[in-house]
Amino acid sequence: MTTAEIRKDMPTRPAAREADEGARLGLRLTLPAQLLVLFISVFPLLMQLYISLTDWSPLSGLGWPHAHEMWNGFANYVDVAGDGRLWSALGRTALVMAVCVPVEFLLGLALATLFADSFPGKRVFYSILIMPMMVVPAVAGYMFYMLFQSGGPVNDILSSLLGMPVTVAWLSDPMLAMLAVMVADIWQWTPLMFLILLAGLVGVPEDQMKAATLLGASPWQKFRTIVLPRMKTIIIIALAIRVIECFKIFDTLFIMTGGGPGVATETISVYIYKITTQDLIWGYVAAIALVILLVLSVACVWAMKRMARKGQPA
Amino acid sequence: MTAIRLENLVKRFGGFTALKTMDLSIGDGEFMALLGPSGCGKSTTMNMIAGMEEPSEGRILFGDRDMAGVAMGKRGVGFVFQNYAIFTHMTVRQNLDYGLRMARRSKAEIARRTAAIADLLQLGDLLDRPALGLSVNILQRVAIGRSAMMEPAIFLLDEPLSNVDAAFRAVMRTELKHIQREFRQTMVYVTHDQLEAMTMADRIAVMDHGVLQQVGTPLEVYNNPANVFVARFIGAPGMNLLPGVPVEGAEGLRIDLGALGRSVVLDAPLAAAARRAKGSVQFGFRPEQVELVSAGAGLGMTVGFVERIGARTIVHLERDGITAKAVFDNDTRVAVGDLVHLAPQPGALRLFDAESGAALRGI
Repeated sequence: MTTAEIRKDMPTRPAAREADEGARLGLRLTLPAQLLVLFISVFPLLMQLYISLTDWSPLSGLGWPHAHEMWNGFANYVDVAGDGRLWSALGRTALVMAVCVPVEFLLGLALATLFADSFPGKRVFYSILIMPMMVVPAVAGYMFYMLFQSGGPVNDILSSLLGMPVTVAWLSDPMLAMLAVMVADIWQWTPLMFLILLAGLVGVPEDQMKAATLLGASPWQKFRTIVLPRMKTIIIIALAIRVIECFKIFDTLFIMTGGGPGVATETISVYIYKITTQDLIWGYVAAIALVILLVLSVACVWAMKRMARKGQPA
Repeated sequence: MTAIRLENLVKRFGGFTALKTMDLSIGDGEFMALLGPSGCGKSTTMNMIAGMEEPSEGRILFGDRDMAGVAMGKRGVGFVFQNYAIFTHMTVRQNLDYGLRMARRSKAEIARRTAAIADLLQLGDLLDRPALGLSVNILQRVAIGRSAMMEPAIFLLDEPLSNVDAAFRAVMRTELKHIQREFRQTMVYVTHDQLEAMTMADRIAVMDHGVLQQVGTPLEVYNNPANVFVARFIGAPGMNLLPGVPVEGAEGLRIDLGALGRSVVLDAPLAAAARRAKGSVQFGFRPEQVELVSAGAGLGMTVGFVERIGARTIVHLERDGITAKAVFDNDTRVAVGDLVHLAPQPGALRLFDAESGAALRGI
């Protein structure tokens, strides 16, 4: 066959058109999945945006598509900016996050370091250690609710340790209630931190650790120069998961204190829950939710970028 | 630089004895290879010298200093790992000066010593490159340089060439030998590859099943193996060992090799050694040290298989269940099924006690 003949036998479709058709087939195949994603994430977001620009409430007697009849422009957003209760709830949430996440991280890291070596009974302790994570948060909330009663086990233990009767009303004192809520969160979520960090820790090559030892590095120096840089990604992931989860803290806390006493433990989720179910001002709730989503997204991206840059070798 | 002395060293892991009473002296500045098949105890010995394992019995001395209880970071030992254990998240420079940084030496001293080592190992241009993705020979130099920065008394190398492909190994061997000459360090080199041991080491310690078999220069070990294990293990292919019985004749002592016929008359010292054996012996000679002779002379054997490996031809021989190998030039004309007659070269004969396997040496 000559070259011309071969060319004649070849299909006359240009490559670009073929690629085009491939893309169209791809679109057809993924369309159902794309529609699903649209419905579960994009649609609610748009609906929320729509409602947040109105005074709509389920009590108004209108279906939500007719919410535009109660259009109020950006009034809800103006209210958000001036809502003191909202901003203090946000502050409390940040406080819980600022205390719980570092404590969970340090405890988890210490435990992971311990469990990276072998010791007798390791498997049993391991199982016990990750158990809190498997407890339903509502159940955990009820457990801690009972533990922190003024006649409860916490006070009993403190009494026998101090040798005098202790009757602290943990959940009725604004400061102590916050502390109790944090203890419950740390109890339940340290195991997750521990699991993630342990996975990172066992991935550190043993011979590099030995090499560092032979070069005279102390345990702390080895940790700082070999373990931490190698675990950087995993640490960022673990912290990101916990920061986001902590921001949404609700179930355990709500059962323990219901956000009280007063508003002493009212976090952002509790506040939103209350105004949604009690005040029923859904347009306003939608505005709050969108603002928080925005704030959290920006904060997360900023924090992760910063950490990624910091961990880079100089 | 330090001499190493191992005295009655024993290592047990539970019920398993990995090392049985090892005695070995390694001279100051000497390159000693620990050679043996896997599981022979060579790495265990090395790990005990480095301090990664505690001996079950016996002593390790660096010079006059007993190393018992001295932590592995404090022994002044440079260790090059099988896979180099380079800190892949650091640059070459950060790898090299790691030890000094951890010891909090002054910036000026660190810079000076890094420059000196980098110069010696030709790493100057690579100092600020990330260690990840460098080629193996550079990684080897970084691993050696990183240890050398600490000015160790002793260098331990754990099979550093086992991850390298065969073609590159020759390059690396030469480079390693050069580095050793530069540093003039006491080096202990663990390997299962006799070529590495033969080409680089001043002396070789051959080990098997936790027992030190022989210590000697590469030529001593090759020419005069202490026992049948060393005879078989050293050399490629290893020494031929044929079962035989010494018989006195009118001209002197010969070895009766059964179906293969009788050996030549042994020279006086070897004959005296054979007489001491009082029984059957192993008749040994190197496959490289044989000649083909005409029919009627030598040992008659049938060619079973011919391996032509370029420069040389390895001929596998067989007779009545007894096998031997012979190495000839590449143009030797032998074919499978031929009956050939072999004569070991004069001076090539070695005898071993059939029972103990120990060499019978002429005095």
